[in-house]
Amino acid sequence: MKMLSYDYVKCTGLSEAVDILAKEEQAYPYAGGTDLMVGMRGGKFAPKKLVDVKDLPELNVFEENDQGIIIGAAITLNQIACDDSIVKNIPILAEGSHSVGGYTIRNRATLAGNICNASPAADTAAPLYTLEALINIAGPDGNRSLPVEEFFTGPGQTALKKGELVQSIVIPRPFPAGKGVYSKASRTGSVDLATVGVAVQNWGEHVKIAVGAVAATPVRALSVEKAINEKGEKSSAEAAKLVHNDIAPITDIRGSREYRYHMVEVLVRRGLEQTMGV
Amino acid sequence: MSDKIKIKFTVNGDSEEREAVVGETLLKFIRDELNLTGTKSGCEIGECGACTVLLDGKPVNSCLVLAVELDGKELLTIEGLSKNGELDRLQQAFIDHAAFQCGYCTPGMIMAARSLLERNPNPNDSEINKALSGNLCRCGAYQEIRDAVKDSASK
Amino acid sequence: MSDLKTVGTTVPRKDAMEKVTGAAEFIEDRYMGPMLYAKMKKSTVAHGKIVRIDTDKAEKHPGVKAVLTGKDYPNMIGLYLIDRTFLAVDKVRFWGEPVAVVAATSEKAAAEAVELIEVEYEELPGVFDPREGIKPDAPIIHENLGNYEIVPIFYPKPGTNIANHFKIRKGDIEEGFDQADHVLEKEYYVPQMQHVPIETHKAAVQWSPDGKLTVWSTAQSPNVVRQLLAKSLDIPMHKIRVISSYIGGGFGCKAGASIEGLLVPIAQKYPGHIIRIVFDREEDMQGTFTRQALFSKLRTGFTKDGRITALQYEMIWDGGAYTEYGVNIVRAAGYSSTGAYDIPNVKTDSYCVYTNNSIGGPVRGFGMCEMQWGIERQIEEVAKHLNMDPLEVRLKNGMKRGSTTASGQVVHDVDYEKCLKLVADKIGWGKQESGKDGKLRGKGIAGLVKCPAQPSNAASSAIIRINEDGTAHVMVGATEMGQGMLTAISQIASEALHIPVDKIDIKVPDTDFTPYEWQSVGSRITYTCGTSVKRAAEDALGQIYCIAANLLEVPQEDLSYDGKKVYSNKDPNIKATIREIADSCKKCTGEGIAGPIIGRGSFVPTNMTNLDPETGQGNPGLFYCFGATGVEVEIDPETGVVEILQLASSIDAGKAINPQLATVQLHGGTIMGLSTALYEEVRFDKGIMLNRNFTDYKIATFDNVPHIDSFIVETPETNGPYGARGIGEQPMIGVAPAIANAVSDALGVEFNSFPLTPEKVWRALKDKK
Ligand SMILES: Cc1cc2nc3c(=O)[nH]c(=O)nc-3n(C[C@H](O)[C@H](O)[C@H](O)COP(=O)(O)OP(=O)(O)OC[C@H]3O[C@@H](n4cnc5c(N)ncnc54)[C@H](O)[C@@H]3O)c2cc1C
Ligand code: FES
Ligand code: FES
Repeated sequence: MKMLSYDYVKCTGLSEAVDILAKEEQAYPYAGGTDLMVGMRGGKFAPKKLVDVKDLPELNVFEENDQGIIIGAAITLNQIACDDSIVKNIPILAEGSHSVGGYTIRNRATLAGNICNASPAADTAAPLYTLEALINIAGPDGNRSLPVEEFFTGPGQTALKKGELVQSIVIPRPFPAGKGVYSKASRTGSVDLATVGVAVQNWGEHVKIAVGAVAATPVRALSVEKAINEKGEKSSAEAAKLVHNDIAPITDIRGSREYRYHMVEVLVRRGLEQTMGV
Repeated sequence: MSDKIKIKFTVNGDSEEREAVVGETLLKFIRDELNLTGTKSGCEIGECGACTVLLDGKPVNSCLVLAVELDGKELLTIEGLSKNGELDRLQQAFIDHAAFQCGYCTPGMIMAARSLLERNPNPNDSEINKALSGNLCRCGAYQEIRDAVKDSASK
Repeated sequence: MSDLKTVGTTVPRKDAMEKVTGAAEFIEDRYMGPMLYAKMKKSTVAHGKIVRIDTDKAEKHPGVKAVLTGKDYPNMIGLYLIDRTFLAVDKVRFWGEPVAVVAATSEKAAAEAVELIEVEYEELPGVFDPREGIKPDAPIIHENLGNYEIVPIFYPKPGTNIANHFKIRKGDIEEGFDQADHVLEKEYYVPQMQHVPIETHKAAVQWSPDGKLTVWSTAQSPNVVRQLLAKSLDIPMHKIRVISSYIGGGFGCKAGASIEGLLVPIAQKYPGHIIRIVFDREEDMQGTFTRQALFSKLRTGFTKDGRITALQYEMIWDGGAYTEYGVNIVRAAGYSSTGAYDIPNVKTDSYCVYTNNSIGGPVRGFGMCEMQWGIERQIEEVAKHLNMDPLEVRLKNGMKRGSTTASGQVVHDVDYEKCLKLVADKIGWGKQESGKDGKLRGKGIAGLVKCPAQPSNAASSAIIRINEDGTAHVMVGATEMGQGMLTAISQIASEALHIPVDKIDIKVPDTDFTPYEWQSVGSRITYTCGTSVKRAAEDALGQIYCIAANLLEVPQEDLSYDGKKVYSNKDPNIKATIREIADSCKKCTGEGIAGPIIGRGSFVPTNMTNLDPETGQGNPGLFYCFGATGVEVEIDPETGVVEILQLASSIDAGKAINPQLATVQLHGGTIMGLSTALYEEVRFDKGIMLNRNFTDYKIATFDNVPHIDSFIVETPETNGPYGARGIGEQPMIGVAPAIANAVSDALGVEFNSFPLTPEKVWRALKDKK
């Protein structure tokens, strides 16, 4: 157990937050704290300052507009999981959000925190990949936007630069025309991290598939997508086999490399059956 | 670096003004500063639920919340549930169903279940399971807790 | 016994109000006074010599009051085999072993100071598998084994890592196998698990200027803490006071004494201060008892009609780095090694082996879950081999009134058959259901038995004080860790005294005031403490009659008592209320009679004996409690996920003192069994515990727990209080084998170890193909 001393500041404006994050060493945005608090205790993070961003108005935006659905960085996973527009238009994100932790955790945990923590097993990541989500970033040099796939750069690593923070996550229009499912395999099937997580999203004309906990970052199952979208593969079972080309799982306490390979194949196949009807 | 921050909040209905050490968890603050020792610690990483309290009416793992965040908020702990010596009906249902053994998980369990009943006054088994699965009971009173929650809902 | 008033009824728990309001006091909830906070420095190697410890920087750290190492404090401690020191001396034997302790004015300062202690080790080759450790050329972990003090019912082998070798030689094993038409031999493995009570281990101690030591502890047994500290520290018992608060779950890990002694030398330096230690979850998982892993080999001989004629059981237990308690688990598993079956010819060798893994010790079931896993799995294979119904094989060989155990003890009050049939009927035994969507269904049953593992003279005692108003205080040394002791014991007192439960006060123990209790372990309290309380009540009742007889001038035999008053059978108008008897104790002339009324009762077993060192024959069991588990599962053969569709559990409680609490216990044990069957396994890498928090070590939660159908069977225990026997541990024992039997039934594959994680089930299916 580590006992740290650090400073805490609750910001009222985005520019103030960016300012502090840019100027001070070891300053961390603090959202739901469900990763940060655990990480600080275990010695993974040693912040000098926590910048509480939960009350920033800019980060509390949660709306549907012409661009799509805008999810502010302070929006919690419970809010997302039971939001009408999300459940209706992009249920795969509701499923991914709902599969994080237990209710009490999701009451604090944010979507932004889930992706900024950048665990390869983050349950919302694979759904966001299949939805082509955009990450809106605010920083000392202004705002920028990145596709979620470029946001993850390694385990615990993101494309954020010093001073930057995620302002919102955008699920752009048009929303997918078909069904999407997120399936998570875990040891207990209850509150547990993913052994593997598979998102399969039917877009009407094509399918997008992403997988978590099988590589340094969440990954797209491009081989499978290609077989179906380009080569007209009709067999889910045959297509699912190709996922082995897209992933590089390891063995850890939650499962062996071999089981992960197997489970991803099974869940991709089932996801295809459920969403593509093939 | 400011070591302590002045915070104003209400706890179990009473307004309070205190100083909170930066970096201290809400759990520690509740137990050591407010001396409300009904709230328990079982893991301090958000996995057991023993530390569950309601913050602005919503359940949180107080081990994952900073004490300074209490500023401007309303805190409800197990001690605030019974009024004038009268038990909340959920507390009574826990007694009627013997929904605990050692009782160590019980305060957190009751707070989490109280909040469930507020969101969903008539939960079924599967809704109870989903809502409370972040609360561990090693004594294994799960079946009795489900019964207690349903029973108190039906009253 | 239908005239019972309180026993056999459901009364609310004595601790209920406190526990639902947050008022229940656990030890960390106590405001204690001037405090020092202790933290441990732990070893970073699993086996190594301590070359150097430098505590200089730690001692100078602001707020630090004391730093102690093993050299300062080499006292030995242990329950059965005295093989431990409070802090490692010269050598560490497991990863995370405490090598130093720091006390400071804040937890933070103590934690910081711990980081400043420098320790240099010379790593030694380690033993991480007891099958390796038992070999003659294995590195020796306890060089001094031959010199350790030991209770002489254990048989260590100095010069090896064998801390105990327990033997059973019953009947004639050769002949038994000769009589057999078939012989099956299989190996089994049960991994380590952790108890993970939601409250971790905690203790606080205070040394008063007049040389009295007060200890607050989460220990399951304050009297054992007192006894071990007295011996280890050479302090007379009247100078040690051990207080138990409510305990937030024990399950065996808080048995014995462990952390309390660590703090005493610091307390002695700072009289009046309270030195407190609180284990965090990781320390609790890694630094306290784990369930010992078991590698076993089981060979069964049986006839073609399914009668078991011979059983040969070799058990190699991973005792961990210290086996002060573990040696007795190995013994208990040995003397019970036929499980719930009557087998005439038995040869058992049960070895407790030191390794450099975490310390092994007692867990709910005390070796029975591990040992009966093999038995119940093998019975299933016997049935399969003969194409017989496994239930029939169980019934055919199951113990009955008059059967003998592996140690040759005759069992008396048994209805194992009923336990089995209840769960079988409930799950629709014999009816095969088919699963949906390619899922496969199966059913499984397992039986179980357990007696308390305790010394043959393990005693209990009770005091009952009748107040002036006729209410009563019951004082016992048993602890309340959730099992419902306070309530059940009050009910027994109430029954015997005819005083309503709500007029009886009972509290958790304090060795300065509550009388002796050996330990709250082994599912024994209802029986042993219950008997003491019943006797104390009868003693008090005798005094009530005696005073009444004097007061009313009516011979005792002509008096009756209804809980409120004592009256003459001949003329009910000649009467005295309990108040009058308890309070005035005097005649109308003013002459005193006797009183105040204090009942005393004690209990020590008279039906237990030592066991023969060569054959293990004798009577180790105070009572035997039987039960059974039945399950129906549905398996997704692709993912390996096992879903429990039905779970039925029966236990023969003799007499349920409080049916509601008995049921809750039955559920609790069944759920813990389910959790270990499906999820729990402590994983080590060269002694380093890999999953030591709730993120990595998963236990069952709401989602994982189906509805449980429970059956409390009541075959009275002749000598138990109102026919009762203990049931706290037992329901856990049958769950893992019942689930494995069901999964095996569904998939046609064998499981020789658990947990049956999705991956393991998937692998077993894959290997079959
Ligand atoms: C008991 C428990 C169970 C869990 N189970 C799961 C699970 O099943 N699946 C899963 O995926 N996760 C799980 N988690 C992890 C965690 O809850 C999620 O990752 C959560 O979404 C993190 O969000 P947060 O708001 O709490 O982040 P925080 O802890 O506040 O922050 C996490 C990281 O992101 C940074 N950050 C936060 N907000 C921003 C921002 N706006 N811009 C830039 N950086 C930012 C922080 O500095 C920090 O580095 C679990 C955690 C716990 C304690
Ligand atoms: S102590 Fe907070 S969840 Fe366990
Ligand atoms: S009652 Fe003991 S942990 Fe729930």
